[in-house]
Amino acid sequence: MSDRILLMGNPNVGKSIFFTELTGIHAMSSNYTGTTVNFMEGRITIGGKEYTLIDVPGTYSMTPTSEAEAVAQKFMQEGAAAVICVLDASNLERNLKLAMELTRYNIPMIFTLNMMDVAARHGVRIDIRQLEEQLKAPVVKSVAVKGKGLKELINRLEILLKSATCGRKCEGCPWAAAKEICGRVSTQKSTSPGFLDKLGDAMLNPFPGLPIAILVLALLVAVVVFGGRGLRVPLIMLTDNLIIPAIRNAFEFVFALFASEPISYSFLYYDNGFQTGTRLFYGNMWQTVGNYAAVGGIADILINILIGEYGIFVISFQWIIALILPYVFAFYVGITFLEDSGYLPRISVLFDNIMRKLGVQGGSLIHVFLALGCAVPAILGSRTATTKKERLMIVTIVCFTIPCISQIGALIALMSVFSWWMTPAMVLFTMLMFATVALIASKLIKGSVDPLILEVPNLLLPNPKTYLRKLAIRMKHFLKDAEFPMLIAVFIAAVLAGTGIISAIAQNAAVQSIVSGWLGMPEEAVVALILGIVRREMSVAPLLILNLTYLQAFVAGVVSLLYLPCLSVFGIVAKEFKIKTAVLIFVGTIVAAIFIGGMVNQIARLFM
Amino acid sequence: MINLYQAKKGQNLRVVSVPDIGLLQNLGLREGTYVSVKNRYALGGPVLLRVEKAFSVAVGKDIATQISVKETV
Ligand SMILES: Nc1nc2c(ncn2[C@@H]2O[C@H](COP(=O)(O)OP(=O)(O)OP(=O)(O)O)[C@@H](O)[C@H]2O)c(=O)[nH]1
Ligand SMILES: [Mg+2]
Repeated sequence: MSDRILLMGNPNVGKSIFFTELTGIHAMSSNYTGTTVNFMEGRITIGGKEYTLIDVPGTYSMTPTSEAEAVAQKFMQEGAAAVICVLDASNLERNLKLAMELTRYNIPMIFTLNMMDVAARHGVRIDIRQLEEQLKAPVVKSVAVKGKGLKELINRLEILLKSATCGRKCEGCPWAAAKEICGRVSTQKSTSPGFLDKLGDAMLNPFPGLPIAILVLALLVAVVVFGGRGLRVPLIMLTDNLIIPAIRNAFEFVFALFASEPISYSFLYYDNGFQTGTRLFYGNMWQTVGNYAAVGGIADILINILIGEYGIFVISFQWIIALILPYVFAFYVGITFLEDSGYLPRISVLFDNIMRKLGVQGGSLIHVFLALGCAVPAILGSRTATTKKERLMIVTIVCFTIPCISQIGALIALMSVFSWWMTPAMVLFTMLMFATVALIASKLIKGSVDPLILEVPNLLLPNPKTYLRKLAIRMKHFLKDAEFPMLIAVFIAAVLAGTGIISAIAQNAAVQSIVSGWLGMPEEAVVALILGIVRREMSVAPLLILNLTYLQAFVAGVVSLLYLPCLSVFGIVAKEFKIKTAVLIFVGTIVAAIFIGGMVNQIARLFM
Repeated sequence: MINLYQAKKGQNLRVVSVPDIGLLQNLGLREGTYVSVKNRYALGGPVLLRVEKAFSVAVGKDIATQISVKETV
């Protein structure tokens, strides 16, 4: 392990920012405890030698209380060439206490006093020379988000690596040692709290905190609904006028290499079999092929399936870029701001009382908010949970009742066709399901959930560079993760439809009685249920081209909400827990979706 | 001596005893720690503390009732 350099420290002190700045590899950072739950590694060169820099999850101590903290302990035990110990200068004593524990591992250490800007704001002054004296190790100052202090850190680290000397070793009580050092090196003059601190405190006070929370959440919904809708306009133009023609050109170029005759455009838009999107799924492809074969050649048929008006490539790009992406972008604009400002832990504190009554605790809300983006990072993030039950509760709630933003985008698109009240009704329904599932799960899952113990960070104004970088990475990941599965899903749809499998399934008596009878949906809706397994928005998107009634649209929303999370989620659940857990969620979500969707349909029909 | 859940907003307190919970200790809520109550929350909500004038921690009701504290000035 002699080439390892570990970034260690308390949670939320800026380690991941250092990692990103030093390696150029983006590590997620947010203003709350427990952003990094697994390590990340990257190469850095110091003094002509290559090292592996490791971004370790933050921990309060070397006696871990969660899976995430245990990772930190493991890295220290494995040893390293050096440790960069990141200290929050605005909270020195507790940070030094961890540092004292780290000194026992006999690894050369360098310290960086980060968040110097926040410390200055709070009137904290630290005598660096004196601190070096006390620790017998190099100490630098930094403001990681502004890139300040990085150069000096690396320069001093290079010297440390050469000398490989360990500083002061704490044998006694780390708290006592930390207190003593802190008393010697720091002074605090009382300052009147600035605007951010005042706002941060007001947000935590039940009044005006609760009204502010409701306002913030309403604002987030508005950003997603209206921002998303607004963004669709230019993106639809972009897709139709630029992206799709480009794809068509590329394909035509390839086909031209093989075909002797140029593709006839009149044929490309010759709408015989592919008149409607529904045709792609439900039309008998062979018959269509027959029709085309009579007019054009095989190449023409292929072209039409791939890039015709409802071709696989056309549909998948339209859905991802012009339908889903606008909502995803709007959501991440909002949520990234909330994450980086430190607002999410405040929500956790304000609503801990309600969460406690539901058998969980307020801290789980952070994971729920993450899950609104994508369930995968949320399930990974739940490693900060202190008991097994808490983790299982979070995963159950997320898998059953929290739609991801891709799915939310498709749902909003579906609902907004009907009436303005459909979306709020869906939000209320989701909250109802959230409470129900939490209550049931807390009865069924054995064990206990520890009450809330949550550090509430200072409210920060997000750093523009950090914020934009995070937003860009998220969008890149979305495009990378979404387009390919979407292509596959649409391709499967086309094959299932073309080979007549869909019609065979849809006309199966049992399926019909569930889909058309119990759920009251048109029989074509079965395609959504099949594709929804691959990606969540696909449990909604195919319905956009059917002519649904109000009730059908709402029932479809309910089914989609409760229905299976996507394949990646099963992968992660199986990996983090047991296969059995993943199977239970698989079966449970299908049964719940069809049962509750049907109940809504049947009950509504009584009144209609 | 009272338990933390009975303390009022704005009170300055010294921790007398805490239950044996790893995270509490690790965060620095230990015997002798000075805390002040920043906020309380209705309906079984947590207590929000400022610990040693350095950082804020929210402690759920079921733990707060197990922490005994003494008022200081
Ligand atoms: N004002 C200010 N903010 C900073 C500074 N360094 C980091 N931050 C912010 O502090 C928050 C925490 O940073 P992270 O890098 O996620 O912290 P971490 O140590 O990796 O946290 P964990 O992964 O939870 O252990 C982020 O919102 C950063 O933007 C700094 O020097 N000044
Ligand atoms: Mg981190």
